[in-house]
Amino acid sequence: MSTDAPHEPILGGAPSARRFGAVNWRGLATFYLREMQRGFKIWKITLAAPAIRALLFASVFGLAIDRPDATMAGMPFLEFLVPGLIAVAALERAFESSSFSIVYDKTEGIFADLSMLPLTPGEIVLGYAAATVSGSLMVAAVVWAALLVFGGGLPHAPLALLFFISAGSLMVGLFSQISGLWSRKWDYIISVQTFIFMPFVFLSGVFFSLGELSDSARDVARFNPVFYVVDGIRFALTGYGEADPYLAAAVSLGVVVLLWVAAYRLFAIGYRFKS
Amino acid sequence: MNEKAAADGTARLAAPPRVRRFGLVNWRGVWTLYQREVKRFLKVFTQTICAPIVTTLLFYTIFSIALHDRVRVVSDVPFVVFLAPGLIMMAILQNSFQNCSSSIMVAKVQGNIVDVLMPPMSPLELICGYLGGGVTRGILVGAVTTIVMTVVAGFPFHDIGAIVYFGIAASAMLCLLGMIGGIWAEKFDHMAAITNFVVVPLSFLSGTFYSIGRLPEMWQTIAHLNPFFYAIDGFRYGFIGQGDAPLWLGMLVLAGIDVVLFFIVHRMLVTGYKLKS
Repeated sequence: MSTDAPHEPILGGAPSARRFGAVNWRGLATFYLREMQRGFKIWKITLAAPAIRALLFASVFGLAIDRPDATMAGMPFLEFLVPGLIAVAALERAFESSSFSIVYDKTEGIFADLSMLPLTPGEIVLGYAAATVSGSLMVAAVVWAALLVFGGGLPHAPLALLFFISAGSLMVGLFSQISGLWSRKWDYIISVQTFIFMPFVFLSGVFFSLGELSDSARDVARFNPVFYVVDGIRFALTGYGEADPYLAAAVSLGVVVLLWVAAYRLFAIGYRFKS
Repeated sequence: MNEKAAADGTARLAAPPRVRRFGLVNWRGVWTLYQREVKRFLKVFTQTICAPIVTTLLFYTIFSIALHDRVRVVSDVPFVVFLAPGLIMMAILQNSFQNCSSSIMVAKVQGNIVDVLMPPMSPLELICGYLGGGVTRGILVGAVTTIVMTVVAGFPFHDIGAIVYFGIAASAMLCLLGMIGGIWAEKFDHMAAITNFVVVPLSFLSGTFYSIGRLPEMWQTIAHLNPFFYAIDGFRYGFIGQGDAPLWLGMLVLAGIDVVLFFIVHRMLVTGYKLKS
């Protein structure tokens, strides 16, 4: 049977093209594994550093707050803070995963090779996105475990936690793909990180409840999609959320879909990499 | 006479170029290296000046909102006023470190460190050039952040002398530390490790967010072993007029550490540790 298979290479003849169905699964898996290896080859920077930073933040706040009755939104301050720190670590990893990889390839002059792979734009976006989500989940797990020394415990709603971390890292990861495509050099992506990503994340209620803000500031803060991600993660961990969890889930998903379409479009037209 | 001058001129053109002479210190060399260092960070000023300023202001906003009525600091000083000098000093420390370490690191990776080692400059002069560049960046970031915060929040200036002394001494300390790191590190990973596991923890646990005097005994002792604590404490004294450690002690500690680090860097350059093989 194997002798008459059409793709069997004949010794001395030209190798036949490898065939695949609607989705190039092997290509996708290879691309995904490459992205994962890039991120976690330097695990000291991508896993250990975020854990240490989260521990530092928690210790500093723990040392700073000397009133046992200091609360935030009615819960002990550290209990409120821990979900925020986990969210920040996951989202920061999500931002750095795709964009840094894209910009690195651009500066090395190998990014345009992407258009020669037997991968469709949809598969490329999916490959980057999958690597982002798995990376963020790993970082979130490590940071969660590290922060157990400050109390906390098993999540209130584990499935919701999985959902909100995935949705949040997808949101940021797709934004990161778009920013990476837009960036011509390192300066560009660092600027996006400093002037757009960081304010969006840190003003989203990571360290404080929106109840601490004035009414007008609170209305503005509610337009920040990252708020719904952080709030959803906090709800999933502690059972306390400021927005309705279903609303948070809907907003997160809606933004993810929009960004996915945008990222797909940009890869399809070869924005800033096919000329 | 005209003829003689003309003859002199042609003679000079025909002769081989003479060795440029300089006195005890190669001032032009130091000045050139200093200018190179300053231009290096000014070229990407959005990253090296604007970004740290925006980040510092962002953290100031967040911590003010999150902690303002939850932390008791020194008496009759509002938390936001207590916090500001610490955050400014953290920006100075991190940027000074980054400037010197990345300059040497990048030169090593790209292989153009020889262009710094070959010119007729002594190790002392090299250190001064790098140090000048790093301190300039640290002070620039610190000064602009201070001005913005003063305009936004408005806080007192108690002792400008202490502000300037601690600003410069602390910036120099981190520059020298950055040079040691840059010379020692072989890859960018090593540098990131020093930043993440040494510089960031030391600056976070230095009393930016709380008054050391309110900590348990053991934590107080540990804090007093952290040189960053003296930098932030003294710098804050310059603004609010109160500190956790005696002012003279902070001044002495910083000066002492600067001298020791200076000798270490000097020694590294003289022996060519990891630079000359």
